[in-house]
Amino acid sequence: MSDSQIIVGLEIGTSKVCVVVGEVNDNQVANIIGLGQSKSRGVRKGEIVDVSVVEEDVRNAIVEAEHMADVEIQSVFLGVTGSHMRGFNNTGVHPVVSADREINDADIQDVIKNAKAVNLPSDHSVIHVIRQHFRVDGQDGVLNPEGMLGAKIEVDVHVVSGRYNRLQNPIRLVSGLHLQVENIAFNGLASSLATLSTEQKELGSLVIDLGAGTTEYAIYSGGVIKHTGVLAVGGDHVSNDLAYGLKVPLGRAEQLKVDNGSAVIDPESNDRMMDLSSDNIIPGKKVNLKHLQMIMSMRLREIFELIANDIEQAGLIDYLRAGVVLCGGGARTPHITKLAREVFNLPAAIGRSSTVSGIKNALDEPEFSTSIGLIKFGAFQSQAMPKREGLGRAIRKQFVSLFGGRK
Amino acid sequence: MTNSNLMRDHDNSDNPVIRFIGLGETGVKLVETLAMIGLKGVQSHSLDTDNRSLSRCHQSKTLLLGKSIPCGLGAGGDVALARAAVESDRDHILKLVSGADLVFVIAGMGGGTGTEAASFVARLAKETGALVVGVAATPFNCEGSRRCNKAAGGIRDLKQSSDVVFHFSNEEVIQIAGGEISLNNALEIANRHLCESVLGLSRMLIEPGLLNVSFGDLQASMKGRHSLGSTLCVEGVGEDLAADVMKKILSHPAARMGKALSEATTLLVHLSGGENLSLAKINTVIESISLHASANDVIVGASGSGSDNVLQVILVIVQETKSNNFIMDANVSKNLPENEALDLSYPENFMPSGENSYMDLGSDSTGANRVRFAYTPPAPAVETITPEMKDSLLEAAAKQEPNRKKRKEIKQEMLPLEVISKGRFEKSEPTIHKGEDLDQPTYIRRGMMLN
Repeated sequence: MSDSQIIVGLEIGTSKVCVVVGEVNDNQVANIIGLGQSKSRGVRKGEIVDVSVVEEDVRNAIVEAEHMADVEIQSVFLGVTGSHMRGFNNTGVHPVVSADREINDADIQDVIKNAKAVNLPSDHSVIHVIRQHFRVDGQDGVLNPEGMLGAKIEVDVHVVSGRYNRLQNPIRLVSGLHLQVENIAFNGLASSLATLSTEQKELGSLVIDLGAGTTEYAIYSGGVIKHTGVLAVGGDHVSNDLAYGLKVPLGRAEQLKVDNGSAVIDPESNDRMMDLSSDNIIPGKKVNLKHLQMIMSMRLREIFELIANDIEQAGLIDYLRAGVVLCGGGARTPHITKLAREVFNLPAAIGRSSTVSGIKNALDEPEFSTSIGLIKFGAFQSQAMPKREGLGRAIRKQFVSLFGGRK
Repeated sequence: MTNSNLMRDHDNSDNPVIRFIGLGETGVKLVETLAMIGLKGVQSHSLDTDNRSLSRCHQSKTLLLGKSIPCGLGAGGDVALARAAVESDRDHILKLVSGADLVFVIAGMGGGTGTEAASFVARLAKETGALVVGVAATPFNCEGSRRCNKAAGGIRDLKQSSDVVFHFSNEEVIQIAGGEISLNNALEIANRHLCESVLGLSRMLIEPGLLNVSFGDLQASMKGRHSLGSTLCVEGVGEDLAADVMKKILSHPAARMGKALSEATTLLVHLSGGENLSLAKINTVIESISLHASANDVIVGASGSGSDNVLQVILVIVQETKSNNFIMDANVSKNLPENEALDLSYPENFMPSGENSYMDLGSDSTGANRVRFAYTPPAPAVETITPEMKDSLLEAAAKQEPNRKKRKEIKQEMLPLEVISKGRFEKSEPTIHKGEDLDQPTYIRRGMMLN
């Protein structure tokens, strides 16, 4: 215990609140030691709509995780999402002023600072500024320019931002439970950290997190993050479409989706009727399986198509040589990889959170990828910031860089 | 008598039986023009509630709708009155359309008779099993939003009850020819285009060819589509016939700069040239059309009965259904409350009797020999109606009003876009993406039907 550090990832999702406890040893390898879950009742489209209910759900999940991991959770890394979040690329430029033209650490800090100075709407704040690569006097693809000679240094960054007030809601809620929020991370980024290997990031991949309320996606190419996005459409929409189209209550629609759903229309389901009269909904209620699959397939296809359009606009569709990785609860839909292959014309697979060790069996499910990714994110953060600096100071520094940087 | 006549028509010739039915003032005018051209073996009928417009018809057979209610004075833009009139003559219209393979329902939208009667006649024709092509002209924007809205509703109804609607808006003429064009010219362009559509399609079916576009092809590409479409007739002249044809097709107003081609699901192309129409020429035309139309069903026909120096091309475009509307098929429409509304109609003796019908008067002179003499209908037979009866009739028509309203409401419910519940997202922030509300079920937005 003395050498290891406890990192907790908390995701307040639309369908579930999930807490994953990880232990990071000296070698910076994360090991999952605990998991807590509870059904989420106060979240719509990834954002909190009922604070008191969510508070209770989070508390339940935390308690469960504490029991399992046998630790006391003091601080968490919090995943955030919502339709208000934006991802875009920005470039910072800085002239090297020192007499010998050697680029030193201060120059690098300056150029990154310049890149952070993005023109955001007044109510937005920056969540992540992720370095892509440097350019020194136009020479592309420099990973670390320190010690190089040059007159001008540029850096490309990927910036994720969101509305300040809406980001504060989950942070305040967690703080109200006497938990410290060490840092927040965009869910799409966290999922990609959990599911992608270094080779996949290098080759270029698209990670789609099919959540209940939102669908996040992130694109890696050349080892760096190129593009992120959120669609406020998810599994809830599928259930809602089914409830509307098949005229069954929402809860039953959800059940039907889980039991009989498919991302593509199965030709064998043609005219197969399912008798629902045993559930006491409507006596003699029957549901056509083909309709069910058609409604589902159209919604899921639309989600993929919207993402594909966005990627095409960003000009990144040709960079995805490692294909599409699906995670989140929606990735459990049968034949979802087939649909993704069809829409993106790329190989598609379900993401495995293989990049962490620990209780594998329980966690090797696509819906835990965000929480596990938060642990990885936390491990990176604490690696970047040695512990002996003092936790309080570290957090303060983090927050200053996150929100204080906003002008 | 009429029926047997029609049946014989059907037996004698291998050609499909085609009927032109014009409704309302514009429809009557168009049909009259078409009848004047006198396509062989095609019967033209003019139907209106207005005696005045019918009296100008000399080539087509006429039928006054609603002899007893508007009394030949026109519906005056009152769709309820027009409806009552056309419903009272249901049997006559049924006789007109029965036995036909292809029925063109031609009407100007925005007024009373054309707007309301067109969909009714189309539905009757559909019930007899004919392929129904609606041909509709819509008003200029300056004619007022009420008229335009009514026209849009009329087009929608017509689209629901017919297989394809060829629609040409007068407003498009202004957009193409500019605002300086004279009213007379503008109307003529619009009318000519609509006539061209009808004639082109008919000619394609009737004229014997080397490669035939058959009625079956047409049926396969149109039946039950409830979509919009158009027909282009162009003639290429000069050195490079194919290039000239293509240029004319693309500059044709109905092609909308080639946009209509790329949106089309099915294209029927019929080329007629001289006896030595070369395959290369056909190839060039088809290829250049296919260039503008992406991955569509292209059906090709050709005939060599024309002249050598002119290449005539008839292009039928059937567009994809933008099915935001709920579509009713003929067998569904049979169950609609329309027929119930009919049931509360008029006592037996109020119905214009078959003997006095203009149908019968006209039917002994076939379209071919009627070209030479003008036929004017006599005054409406009102002698059976006493003033009291007339009052009670008008009352009945007035009483129908609330019923009609109710039926309209039922129709509204069938258009799901207007009342879609967003279920659990009702109160949450809407997810709008490029103007589409993603909270609404995808299958509804994409017009997929569960049946």
